[in-house]
Amino acid sequence: MRKFGGLTAVAGISMDIPPGQVTGLIGPNGAGKTTVVNLISGLLKATEGTIRLGERDVTTADAVTLAKAGVARTFQNIRLIPHATALENVLAGFHLRERTGLLANLLALPAARRERADLEAEALALMQAFGMDRWAATQAGNLSYGHQRKIEMMRALALQPKVLLLDEPVAGMNDVEAAGLAETFRTVARQGVAILLIEHNMRFVMSLCDRIYVLASGRMIAEGEPDAVRNNPHVIEAYLGA
Amino acid sequence: MTGFVSSYLPLVELAAFNALLAYSQYIVLRAGVFSIATPAFAAVGAYAAAILSVKLGLSPFVGVAAACVLGALLGGLLSLPLARLRGVFQALATLALVQVVMSIALSWTSVTEGALGINGIPKAVGLEWFAVALLAVLYLMHAISISSIGRAFNVVGEDETVAVSMGISVVRHHAIAFVLSGLLGSLAGAMHAYSSYSITPNEYGFHMLTLVLAMVVLGGRVSIWGPLVGSLILTGLPELLRGFENYRMVVQGAILMLAIVFLPAGIVDTAIRLYRNRKVAATGGVEKGAVS
Repeated sequence: MRKFGGLTAVAGISMDIPPGQVTGLIGPNGAGKTTVVNLISGLLKATEGTIRLGERDVTTADAVTLAKAGVARTFQNIRLIPHATALENVLAGFHLRERTGLLANLLALPAARRERADLEAEALALMQAFGMDRWAATQAGNLSYGHQRKIEMMRALALQPKVLLLDEPVAGMNDVEAAGLAETFRTVARQGVAILLIEHNMRFVMSLCDRIYVLASGRMIAEGEPDAVRNNPHVIEAYLGA
Repeated sequence: MTGFVSSYLPLVELAAFNALLAYSQYIVLRAGVFSIATPAFAAVGAYAAAILSVKLGLSPFVGVAAACVLGALLGGLLSLPLARLRGVFQALATLALVQVVMSIALSWTSVTEGALGINGIPKAVGLEWFAVALLAVLYLMHAISISSIGRAFNVVGEDETVAVSMGISVVRHHAIAFVLSGLLGSLAGAMHAYSSYSITPNEYGFHMLTLVLAMVVLGGRVSIWGPLVGSLILTGLPELLRGFENYRMVVQGAILMLAIVFLPAGIVDTAIRLYRNRKVAATGGVEKGAVS
């Protein structure tokens, strides 16, 4: 549960996001979906309730701890460093993979240089896998919306996460681009990652998710397999009005 | 010939001193910390060096080393209460520190000689030592910019929410930036003390604060060459504008304003951006050295 002053943003939510599956979280605007993601990723503290990562209670863990524990996320409004290159933005996700110490980096010792070269190569390979390597040297702010979304994706995947929280990852994309990303999500999920997908694109959600939770006005109103949810009268009412 | 060179030597040494100060300011701004404490660090370094050599007769090497350690410690200490502040509030807090340090220098007369300052500091630092220090600092800045620290600074300075979501500790990197700023500022102060025979408290006040900020803003806040270019220009400009006599400050202010309006990213960063965009447009693809 999360309260902001006197306003309860979300309450009475119980969700299970299993690895190897894509779990959907849908609901009308203002339902509290991003609040849920912020709670899970540690950007917000829950007023009440528990959050568990596997066996571990992470309710009070902050964002840095959760990132180290393998929770990665993308943002609803793209948050990249516009004046940095695409490659540099992706490299930001590699921070936790760095092993060389502070002093080695301050003095630019060979070990630090080698690590930097290795991580850059890995980042470039990741960009190649996404078909984005030709934009590696371009300033991220100059790239198209679809490309920027992909950079956000790569940055999150660079953390090699156990849990991937995707906040409207295909918003603004055409069906072809969205289908491409759907395939990527399926691949990532197959590798054992637990994916939570927030999206408004119904077709996308129904075709990709194994299980869907529906949120409205901060409360869970339905959960289940795509077909069951699609035909659920509460869900229809929430989206279309009484 | 030697007359010509030697008459400009003090100016070159001043430019080097200003460059070191500029790097102290630059490194905190790089990490998104709006600290303007550099004059305070410089004062601490200068007085430490002067007191150790003049009053205790210790070697300048000890003086400089002690200054660096003190500066780093002060920076580290400062990062603790300032950890929760951002932007304007950080600036105000560090401005307060500058005032505090100046007040201490003025009133603790038994140690600092108050308003008279400390005189008779041995001239131990000439152009060669400034060059060594500047090269060392440039290497440090380069090392940081190509390392994980520099990358982390970029993210932390741009978007703290993204930083923590990537597992980059904002608190830790702000602290690192403060320590480095303290070290560089005090190094500058100590070297200046050893090159100018005497120091007084009012050197380390508001004038130095605005000059230091102006050098970084004018030169560039991202590229490691920004502070150097900024310091060269702002040290040399008063000399070049000597012909304007009483209107010198007006012209200097006007030039600064024009530069900031038309080149808000600073001279070096704007030049680099133009060069890079042209290069990527020409090759239309992957460029070697995609990371600055």
